[in-house]
Amino acid sequence: MKLNTIRPDDNISELLKTDLNKGFQLLVEKYSQKLYWHIRRLVILHEDADDALQNTFINAWKSIGNFRSESSLYTWLYTIATNEALALINKRKRNAAVSIDDLESYFASSHEGSIWFDGDEAQLKLQNAILQLPEKQRIVFNLKYFDEMTYNDMSKVLKTSEGALKASYHHAVKKIEKIILSD
Amino acid sequence: MMNKLNEIPEKNPFKVPDNYFEEVNRKIITAASGIDREVLKVSVYNRFKTSFLIAASVAGLILITYTTIKLLSPVKVNSPVSEVLHEISPDSYLNDIDLSSLEENASSLVLSEEVPDVSKKDIIDYLLNENVEINDIYAQL
Repeated sequence: MKLNTIRPDDNISELLKTDLNKGFQLLVEKYSQKLYWHIRRLVILHEDADDALQNTFINAWKSIGNFRSESSLYTWLYTIATNEALALINKRKRNAAVSIDDLESYFASSHEGSIWFDGDEAQLKLQNAILQLPEKQRIVFNLKYFDEMTYNDMSKVLKTSEGALKASYHHAVKKIEKIILSD
Repeated sequence: MMNKLNEIPEKNPFKVPDNYFEEVNRKIITAASGIDREVLKVSVYNRFKTSFLIAASVAGLILITYTTIKLLSPVKVNSPVSEVLHEISPDSYLNDIDLSSLEENASSLVLSEEVPDVSKKDIIDYLLNENVEINDIYAQL
């Protein structure tokens, strides 16, 4: 799945200044799907992604009055979404006996199960390989591979230099290929 | 055997319930509209947080300084301030007097040529009751 990178939308930024409610509505309609899939790839379960997505927009709404920069609306939302997803993963780590490093056992341990997953064997392999990456590498890989985010935007989301992100993505790809090959 | 990422078909393996995005968008917008007022209060406080803290600190310093000065400075007996405070205290009999009637009576006395018939003895008794030094009374009379 390749998604086109969303560029900052000046119309939404302008509308947020003149009509906050309408601007926010447009923001939700425009970004909810992109942010959902970004969160979902990190937290895996639909119900967790649903919670994190709603928290993302509620937090965005709470601080949208202080949002000034027109050019970083897109990266700002991705930062909030990433933080929400990581907070949820950490919460799960503290409470659950099973950690997210194998998709099938994680689905089996959840109330939701695998009802919202229909990947074939290759997809299952890829997702399992991604889950074995360190947390930061996993986020970098997902943002680059699935969301096709530029390193410039990614550096704003993750507050990391572009060079470090490129190296991180390179290592992630090598690790994933090695894991797939070894299976 | 696959050994390259680009050999894996580009397909999203995750699914969502039907009409999920329409419903979640509606849910988010409804929830956000419910917390509008609270948000405004918080953002106003956050925006002026530094000013509030500085103003509170200055007010606190002034209060502490004033209290310290008041506690350390000696209390003056029969000072003009204490007399004034006594006169305007809630228990003062002056509070029961109607000011307009007082002004009328006072003006009638000032304009009148008549002087009330009061003996020296009554005046001395009155002044002694008011704790005026007897030597001062004799000096005046």
